[in-house]
Amino acid sequence: MTAFLVRRAIGAVWVVVGVAVAVFLILHLTGDPAAVMMPPEATTQQIAEFRHNQGFDRPLWVQFGSFAWAALHGDFGNSLRHGEPALGLALERVPASVELAFSALALSVVVAVPIGVLAAVRRNSLLDLAARIFALIGQSAPVYWMGIMLILLFGVQLGWFPVSGIGGIKHLVLPTVTLGLFTMAQLMRLTRASMLDVLKADFLRTARAKGVQPLRLLWHHALRNAWLPIVTVIATELVTLFSQAIITETIYAWPGIARLAVQAIVDRDYPIVEVVVILAALAFVAINLLTDVFYAALDPRIRYE
Amino acid sequence: MPYGRRALLSFAALLALSLGGSAALAPAGAADSTVTISQGVDPVTMDPLKRTITPTTNVHYNIFDTLVRQDREGKLLPWVATSWKRVAPTVWEFKLRHDVKFWNGDPLTSADVKFSVEKIKDPTEGSEQGPRVATVDRIETPDSYTVRYITAKPTAMIAGYPWQVFIVDSKYWKEHGDDVGHSSGYQAEHPMGSGPYIFKSWRKDEQLVTEANANYWHGRPSVDSVIWKPIPEAAARVAALRTGETDLITNVPAQYQLQLAGGRNTRLTSARSIRVLFFAFNTLRPGPQQNKLVRQALNYAIDVPAIIQTVLGGRAYAVNTPLPPNFVGYDPKIPFYHHDLAKAKALLAQAGYPDGKGIDMLINAPIGRYNKDKEIAEAIAGQLSQTGGHFTTKIQEWTTYVNFTSSRGLTPVYELAWGNNSYDADNTLTSLFTSDARLSTYANPALDKLIVDARYETDPKKRQAVYDKSLEIIHDEAPWLFMFQYEDLYATTKRLAWEARGDEDIFCDEMKLK
Repeated sequence: MTAFLVRRAIGAVWVVVGVAVAVFLILHLTGDPAAVMMPPEATTQQIAEFRHNQGFDRPLWVQFGSFAWAALHGDFGNSLRHGEPALGLALERVPASVELAFSALALSVVVAVPIGVLAAVRRNSLLDLAARIFALIGQSAPVYWMGIMLILLFGVQLGWFPVSGIGGIKHLVLPTVTLGLFTMAQLMRLTRASMLDVLKADFLRTARAKGVQPLRLLWHHALRNAWLPIVTVIATELVTLFSQAIITETIYAWPGIARLAVQAIVDRDYPIVEVVVILAALAFVAINLLTDVFYAALDPRIRYE
Repeated sequence: MPYGRRALLSFAALLALSLGGSAALAPAGAADSTVTISQGVDPVTMDPLKRTITPTTNVHYNIFDTLVRQDREGKLLPWVATSWKRVAPTVWEFKLRHDVKFWNGDPLTSADVKFSVEKIKDPTEGSEQGPRVATVDRIETPDSYTVRYITAKPTAMIAGYPWQVFIVDSKYWKEHGDDVGHSSGYQAEHPMGSGPYIFKSWRKDEQLVTEANANYWHGRPSVDSVIWKPIPEAAARVAALRTGETDLITNVPAQYQLQLAGGRNTRLTSARSIRVLFFAFNTLRPGPQQNKLVRQALNYAIDVPAIIQTVLGGRAYAVNTPLPPNFVGYDPKIPFYHHDLAKAKALLAQAGYPDGKGIDMLINAPIGRYNKDKEIAEAIAGQLSQTGGHFTTKIQEWTTYVNFTSSRGLTPVYELAWGNNSYDADNTLTSLFTSDARLSTYANPALDKLIVDARYETDPKKRQAVYDKSLEIIHDEAPWLFMFQYEDLYATTKRLAWEARGDEDIFCDEMKLK
């Protein structure tokens, strides 16, 4: 297990380096921020001065070299937009994003897994039909549209929840539901399908014949064996949640890292974009690693040698 | 089956938990004398000498002071400067109030004004505000309350945009490692102003809290506390206003105007913007757009009032030249190119393009930059196609588009809008019509000379005569499809008394709560 972890950690470093190189090249090859940053009445000379002061007129490999060297020392440069260190600006948004992503994931799991199990057990019942329709809507309704509809219904018409910003639990409800809906639908379908497979298995029939209590049969024998694909999807859904958060954070004015990234892309604020992408790469690598470790814990048959 | 029911029950309990206790939700900013303002984006820095973007400077206007203020028509009002005059052809002299203090008690003096301007001009500062103080060659401070701007040449307009340059506490800046020549970055989050509102706290993209300055020299502002809470999405901004979570929203799309004007709790306020939208012909690149008759013909082919009505819900004003009527230099005698398709076709035939044959033009436009930018370009292409020519649109994201505008690479037709908050012709004409201006795609030495003459003509009557001549040339040469001046829409809760300004500024000391 230790050898496996070390191998994976080394692999992870290469992934992050590759991502850093790619994002740097893509950003710098598509033009520089001078025209976006400078006021419209700036003269060509003023723009050239700005470019020079920021070092955008140096050869690309020189720019990359100094970026990489500084980044290795934890310095990603100052945000062009804010004039403050990009790393700090990005890190201070992480808690809000994590709060939203995990609450959305928690809501999805708590709702989707029990309903998925029930839908499988009572296949073709009214409940199963309702769950399938809900899953269909959850997966096909655009996050953007769903967000606005929830705001109009629960914020403006009913006045139950605030419609924007971060605050207490009440502020968390609408963004969590909006963000979690897609994942919830995905997980529900998967749980149902996975359970249907397991429910047909021989060992379940044996267990039933042995006289195992129905509830214990379901949660202990069936679900335990259906978990593996579900856990895999939960992990990958965390990735999906981060990308969907771009829309959710924008609609609900949630002060997270995705919203920072969108604004940075609009402004061609290189340092911020680079930091956010690298942080995201780190997060994804870590999630994947954790998932692998988790597999072993869930299923004793899996061992990494 | 027993387990089914139990699971259902626990799910129902969970739902109830997540919804419970939310019925009695009080609107945010609960204290009565707090006003919450929602712009589309958060300010980017509290260093007031760096950036020029409106949502940022709007916060700065309330925590810092400027030498003068503009009224709603662009007229200059005394502010920190009680008076100003030209004491020599190249010298503008400002007399300062003696009772202006920064929040820490430091008096605001001529040294602070000098420091602020010099910091902007400092090349290592990389300030976007450089162009504003470009005409100020150097600054003299004969005494603590007298400031002199020395310009290289006599200028008609007051030098250095004094209504836009914020004054910082030079002593405080130096104490924190900021001087001309080097910056510590400390000011980005720790402002020290002298303005009507005192900066209290700021969580980025979340909220920025300010409180009334009880010792403000112009009197304590009426609203106790102002919170700036950005909401990027227009529909969400409108929703937050309707629920009372915010009191003032900017950039209201026209499709919400009926809903907000008739709202139980909401009202609209609007102002003629300083922003003029146009389609420029790139006359520096080959093509039929280099022919004056073609440009005139296409101006007759479009129906601007119809576009204003259908695309912008009536919220704009057609212009006959690049200048709106409330600008210095505007000439009301110049006629409009009214919609006349027959005349357009006749001019095209005269230019050698009968029935529009041989005309194939690309209309470039950005998306999401100006109110309805894409829709307006599409409407224009549709109307121009009536001439028989072939017109298509190419829509690009602003970050890509703006790079092409800088290199004069958009051709033959491209959409832009120009906001000029000096309310004076010089900035617009210099930036968009002189041969060597970065954004100009029209070159005419005779016009260049007139524009420069007007800039340095200090007699207002003679200056207006030069502008009349310039605008006649521009109207006749038609380097643009002349479009309109926007009307900016804002909405507030009914409890807030505040009226929109055309320059997009928000002064909270003008606000009152009912």
